[in-house]
Amino acid sequence: MTVTEPHPARPAPRFVRADGPDKVTGSGRYTADLSLTGVLAAKFRYADVSHARITRLDVSAARAMPGVMSVLTAADVPDVRFGPFVQDRTLFATDVVRFEGEIIAAVAATTAEIAQRAADAIVVEFEPLPVVTDLEASLATDAPLVHGDWADYGSAEVVVRDRNDASFSSITKGDAAAAMAGADVVVSSRYVADGCHAAPIEPRAVLAQWEGDKVTIWTSTQVPFDARAGVCETLKLPANRVRIIVPHLGGGFGGKCGFHYEAHIAALARAAKRPVRLVFSRREEFLAPDRRREGMIIDITTGMRTDGTIIARSGWIAIDNGAYTADAGFFSQLAAMHVAGPYRVPNVSIEAHLVYTNHQPSGSVRAPTAPQACWALESHTDELAKAVGLEPVAFRKLNAVDTGAEGPSGQTYDEIGLQQCIDAATANAGYGQELPDDEAIGVAIGWWPSFSVPSGAYVKIDGDGSGQIITGAQECGTGAVMTLRQLAADELGMAAEDFQLVYQDTSVAPYDMGATGSQTLFNNGRAVVNAAGQIAEQLRKLAADHLEASPDDIVLADGHASVAGTPTATVSIAELAGIASGGELLIGHGSGQPPGPPPLVGSTCVGDLGMAAFVAPQFSCHAVRVKLDRDTGVARVLAVSTAHDSGTIINELGALGQVEGGVLMGIGQALTEGTTYDDQGKQRNAAMLEYKLQTCADAPPINTHFVQIATPDAGPRGAKGLAEAPNVATAAAISNALAAIIGRPVRRLPMTAERVWETLNEEAAR
Amino acid sequence: MSLLIATTLDDALAALAAGARPIAGGTDLVVGARHGKAPLPASLVAIDRIESLRTVGRSADGGLVIGAGVSHHTIETDSTIGAEWSALADASALVGSPATRHVGTLGGNVMNGSPAMDTGAPLVVFGAEAELASGSGSRRVDMATLWVGPGRTSAAADELCVAIHLPARAPRSGSAYLRLEYRRAMEIAVVGAAASVTLTADGAVDSVRVALTAVAATIVEVTGLTGGSVADVAAAAEAAAADQATPISDLRASDRYRRHCIGVMARRAVEAAARRASGETIAIPVNRAVGIGMAAGAAS
Repeated sequence: MTVTEPHPARPAPRFVRADGPDKVTGSGRYTADLSLTGVLAAKFRYADVSHARITRLDVSAARAMPGVMSVLTAADVPDVRFGPFVQDRTLFATDVVRFEGEIIAAVAATTAEIAQRAADAIVVEFEPLPVVTDLEASLATDAPLVHGDWADYGSAEVVVRDRNDASFSSITKGDAAAAMAGADVVVSSRYVADGCHAAPIEPRAVLAQWEGDKVTIWTSTQVPFDARAGVCETLKLPANRVRIIVPHLGGGFGGKCGFHYEAHIAALARAAKRPVRLVFSRREEFLAPDRRREGMIIDITTGMRTDGTIIARSGWIAIDNGAYTADAGFFSQLAAMHVAGPYRVPNVSIEAHLVYTNHQPSGSVRAPTAPQACWALESHTDELAKAVGLEPVAFRKLNAVDTGAEGPSGQTYDEIGLQQCIDAATANAGYGQELPDDEAIGVAIGWWPSFSVPSGAYVKIDGDGSGQIITGAQECGTGAVMTLRQLAADELGMAAEDFQLVYQDTSVAPYDMGATGSQTLFNNGRAVVNAAGQIAEQLRKLAADHLEASPDDIVLADGHASVAGTPTATVSIAELAGIASGGELLIGHGSGQPPGPPPLVGSTCVGDLGMAAFVAPQFSCHAVRVKLDRDTGVARVLAVSTAHDSGTIINELGALGQVEGGVLMGIGQALTEGTTYDDQGKQRNAAMLEYKLQTCADAPPINTHFVQIATPDAGPRGAKGLAEAPNVATAAAISNALAAIIGRPVRRLPMTAERVWETLNEEAAR
Repeated sequence: MSLLIATTLDDALAALAAGARPIAGGTDLVVGARHGKAPLPASLVAIDRIESLRTVGRSADGGLVIGAGVSHHTIETDSTIGAEWSALADASALVGSPATRHVGTLGGNVMNGSPAMDTGAPLVVFGAEAELASGSGSRRVDMATLWVGPGRTSAAADELCVAIHLPARAPRSGSAYLRLEYRRAMEIAVVGAAASVTLTADGAVDSVRVALTAVAATIVEVTGLTGGSVADVAAAAEAAAADQATPISDLRASDRYRRHCIGVMARRAVEAAARRASGETIAIPVNRAVGIGMAAGAAS
């Protein structure tokens, strides 16, 4: 274990991200902006039914249409079943379709209109199969199977599967049943969350071009290396013949994680012998990707002593996996952790099921499972406080984990700042002040792991003294990649502006997991610091020779290498770079060993995908002031106060942006954003008009405080992740504010005006 | 497809007579076509550059004539409309986004005929008339005659709405339009209500008109309301609106919730209209000043 002290010399700088001007002025290019000579347009033919067997598929009319250059189905690509946790997916439907957005065929034609007409001209006939939409019914032993061949599928070794349960996970510690039986007060709650969407402003786009046996794919992915791996696996190509380039990305929010349509478009381009471009419509963006946020049913029971001390917690969770598992395999364990919560609970028994349905597949949307699970747990926590007559914040202070405490999965925490977060967020919210009876401040706490994974980067300084960072990291809008310039500059005594970033190209840079898991700064920051450190070594040696001093005495600062204590003995880094360009070049490469998982003591986790031990855990507290229109149930968020322990903050401006965006996403999930389905499992509100995102006009003032303490096993300078954590606790805090006004919680998410109104009616009828 | 950009009314009317459909801001027509609601007509005549359609002026009797091509932005910021026909300004201020309000027009909103149109209920309570012109002359129809169903009007294919005529306001009159909304921009009325109130010298309601948005096949006027104290009239409006509404259940709300909320909107519209009638200034749009729109700590 290494402990990194926060950077003491300098307050967190506030710098404008390097890609900002390009994006704001419109000079930045996105995938859909790109064109190539002879490019064709791609369209997909979707199932449009939720569960059916294909009895006839005839593409001959489509192939015969003038302007159509290629039409592909499952028969035209290698027979590969893929998936990171459960290999349950194919590029094209084979014999059964399992959700409305499943791809049956792909068309490339000279115009998008011709491609669409050809896709429409494909003849598909179905035999209907029973549609599974209800999570509890899906788990029944006599339920229709979403995947009849589930037992024959390959899967990651630790994934525990059974029929429609694609990934079972449990946390067991102590004896929850016995402790519950001996508890003074026991409270049970059920909360039900609807699924929702990442809804990035840029719909997905992919452009592919072959040259010989090599393909270059420009794509709007958050995870270029994962996209490359998917292309290689499904089209049976070696990694060095597939190049993924990501132009500017117009947001992702997790929704653009994973491998999506790169292989379809590469296959079309190969068949057509021309470049092919796919640009999704907004409707496709809602219906087709395997990355919407999962609906959940959450049952929680907690046993306490009369003084409010939690002694036991049990839970049962069903998560809507949708038709394919995609990257959701770990959701059951992550949901179990979030229902356990950042509390000192000695006896725990939580089970979570990832349940197949005929809905669109779920996948990593910003802090997967956490906003819903936190909403349920923290709403339940206010019920607990009420049951023992404690004030909700005092109840949390009493039971929340702190430095040296043991969490629900048996991890003992090193230096953490959760208690400080609670104090700061509530104080800044003015918690405890007198408010009108239609207003309240709700409080919730949340947590999120940092993901410790391999990552690589190169740094070079050219002969004129300007630098380049060539990194595998992906910028999805969080600004994490933009902080890399600051890290390299600090390492070399240079300015951030001295560096250009070369990123999002798998054939140029070493591996990185991508803009997923809040991991970019944590891991790629380590890689860049290591790479820059190698050049710093080189510069010190060059300067020592030049200044006739020992390398150990050379200080790199303000663009110069100087002898410590002798400021007149100095040479500019640019001059040293010029010297190096005639000899050994200034090139650094970095990766570094990711920190290992902390130990768990006294707990047993079935279906353990590594999510029960949180490396460098992040903590947060959100306090949200809400006003309720009692006549209509419409709630308005008046102000949000947040406090985050994400370790050291490298760029405060970027960090504030992350928190503000996460909060606004949380407000949407709390009040207005939810997918509704018809009885056939098809989405009813797959459009921006009826899927109610929050707008700038809805944004409340957001006050944020960063609790910056020394964090063991953290990223560069003690930084932890911050991309997902701000999205965890907002909906929960809003729920608690509403419950305080109404007198009881709203048990459905989103807590729409109509649901709030129904809850008001129930309370009035009591 | 053909597009004629008309600069005079006569050119536009001739194009309509030849089968073209009019387009002004295009905020319903183009968006609808993109979403597959209806393809763009084969022949279009753009009327957004006809200056005579873009003016707001007093009529001889003290009323107001608003050209059909006047934008929602102009209406929400026009001081005369804001002071005397406040409900219309309330409504235009809630339409879509700033971009929508700059290109979307009153005539387009009226002739699109959606039962969820925001400007419709205010026009009804003002007793407004639409002026329809064609090559053979023009006529004026009241709103109840104009709207015959969702998306349908009684205008002939060659008739163009050129203006909306608003009668003069009586002394001690005020009006307001409120709508239920789940967010504060880019919203469509879940339900909405407009009220126009004229007070007696001692502050009671002398006369009142209330009209409802998105609870029937067209904008509908509440019947059977009479004068009385403001509180009594507001309560009566709430009950009558809920009783007379025939809402549907859809993605935005259940019929039951709509029926409840239309009563609340009607009551609040009467209350706000009465406050304005008594001389109080409530900023446009009134949605931001009562109920859910209020600032932290302000009394309801």
